[in-house]
Amino acid sequence: MKHDVEQTELAGNSVSWFRRFMAVVRYEMLWNIRKKKFIGVIVFAFLISSLGLVLPLILNDSIPQNTHFAITYGADSISLFLFALVIAMNSVSSEFESGTIVPLLTKPVSRTTVYLGKLFAAFIILLISFIVIFTYTSIGSIFVYGPQNDLGLLPVVLFGNIVSAFIWVSILIAMGTFTKNTILTVIIAIGLFVSLFMALPIVSVFSGPSTALNYLPGTGATGTLITTDNTTLSISTGTDNLGVNMVYALMHSGQNVTFSKIDIWSIQTGDQTLPTTELLYIESIEFIALRGLAIALAYITVFLLIGWFAFKRTQINE
Amino acid sequence: MDYAIETDNLTKTYGSLTAVNNLNLKVQKSSIHGFLGPNGAGKTTTLKMLMGLLKPSKGSAKVLGQEVRVDDANSRIKIGYMPELPKFPKHLKGIELLDIYGRMYDMTNQQRAEQIPKLINLVGLKGREKEYVGKYSKGMQQRIGIAQALLNDPELIILDEPSIGLDPVGMIEVRELVKEISKDGRTVFLSSHLLFEVEQICDHITIINKGSAVASDTVQAVSSMFTGPTLIYLEVTNLTAKVISAVEKLPFVTKVYREENKLTVQVTSQNTADVQIRVSKEITNMGGVIVGMEQKTSTLEEAFIQLIGGIKKK
Repeated sequence: MKHDVEQTELAGNSVSWFRRFMAVVRYEMLWNIRKKKFIGVIVFAFLISSLGLVLPLILNDSIPQNTHFAITYGADSISLFLFALVIAMNSVSSEFESGTIVPLLTKPVSRTTVYLGKLFAAFIILLISFIVIFTYTSIGSIFVYGPQNDLGLLPVVLFGNIVSAFIWVSILIAMGTFTKNTILTVIIAIGLFVSLFMALPIVSVFSGPSTALNYLPGTGATGTLITTDNTTLSISTGTDNLGVNMVYALMHSGQNVTFSKIDIWSIQTGDQTLPTTELLYIESIEFIALRGLAIALAYITVFLLIGWFAFKRTQINE
Repeated sequence: MDYAIETDNLTKTYGSLTAVNNLNLKVQKSSIHGFLGPNGAGKTTTLKMLMGLLKPSKGSAKVLGQEVRVDDANSRIKIGYMPELPKFPKHLKGIELLDIYGRMYDMTNQQRAEQIPKLINLVGLKGREKEYVGKYSKGMQQRIGIAQALLNDPELIILDEPSIGLDPVGMIEVRELVKEISKDGRTVFLSSHLLFEVEQICDHITIINKGSAVASDTVQAVSSMFTGPTLIYLEVTNLTAKVISAVEKLPFVTKVYREENKLTVQVTSQNTADVQIRVSKEITNMGGVIVGMEQKTSTLEEAFIQLIGGIKKK
């Protein structure tokens, strides 16, 4: 059997890295798109978005005015986590579990190319998913809340949400590469998410919006932003709210966010008096957005480097 | 001599377990070289080290003249590899799998469009190529495994137990396929624990046991290592001294024994078909009449059992 493939074209360094990289991206994207659970998460995200759109209508007698709903809605923490979970939980680990890593790594693609290809595919899938959901939310918000202002900031909130979700993607990929076990990866990731999503806000009730919360993935500390038109906005500093915080930083440049501790022990049952509050610190909204972005990128970089190092060094015994 | 594969004291240990022990392997270019050994002998571990999937604990290996290093993508351009019981992503269709792997070899659209249908035909998957790999039977997975190993028109094809899990017909087809792909001068390095498979396909063989090579030569040479020379048993009427003397004078004959009208001829040549013709011609020319002729040849099975230390009694 002799065919027409030009051996010389295949030889040595003439093989294009980019084409090999794109082959890995294609391989990974087909995998993600064909996952049943991915379709499930898309449906879930649509339901959450729909709920976000119609809930104010149900809860209020009249339609509340909100000309910035589309650009300040953002994806919620659970959706961000679920998207990341479905895309990344078995991206590396199942290659080892199923043994498909062997034919993959015996092709002329380096482990770094495979790793980068998988990450890029995850990014593309997240991007497409969020574009679809944000388009849906934006169109829906026009119907529900009337004409929307500053729609040009949508790419900012989109970027912020992808970065937020990518923290979880990088954590999941790093864990999957280390454990080579999808179930273990999912258990650890859910445990981490639940502790950050639920436990930390509970702790913050007692400790106040501690600055430590700003440096952990998740919702972060909660403060109050008073805008130039005297509107009071609740700001969560965590990486999950990066997109919205970046939008607020652009819209309310120069405004400060105040963080106060509510003394819950001052609340007495049956007493009508308000609980006492203690001002802890003040930060500008730009600083909060930039710090959130820096922390998110630091987490992504560290976890992806850990995953890459583990993937490069792993022995293929499967 | 140019070798397709050359290892120098290749060793792989896992804690106190030595999977491959100072293996010195030489695979000639354009040969079909069998890598034979019982289960757990270290065959797959050796192949994984040759493919850069495992890092040797000691020693080195060269494949197609290039030093093997873990994660050296370019060194795999001219190699086709089929793992033992290959597992491919279930979410891909057969044709998609070959297409994506072809892209990983940087084959152009035209090259893939020409090569993939040919390979699908060659491995007998025509009509099934648009089905998901996850729906393929074990035999079909083996076939697509062979197809993906041939995608890049490799100089060296490494097959790890290519007929494991196949039915008898499938095994024969795989053997024919291996013979076919080796026709145009490619080197095939084939690991197997099936003696008859190696004996039928390969011209060279290395036997590995407990991680070490215990024999490496042509199949015939390894086969005759323990059981001695080939013997031809003849029953001849009119068996005269003239007949015996003529047979003794043949250059490849080392000994001749006579017992009444029965003659045992010990020969050194491995070309047994030619030997039989020349012996019978000589006898007939001298007036003898051959009533029966039988040949006892050394088998690879006998050599293999001796080399791996005999059969364990339960």
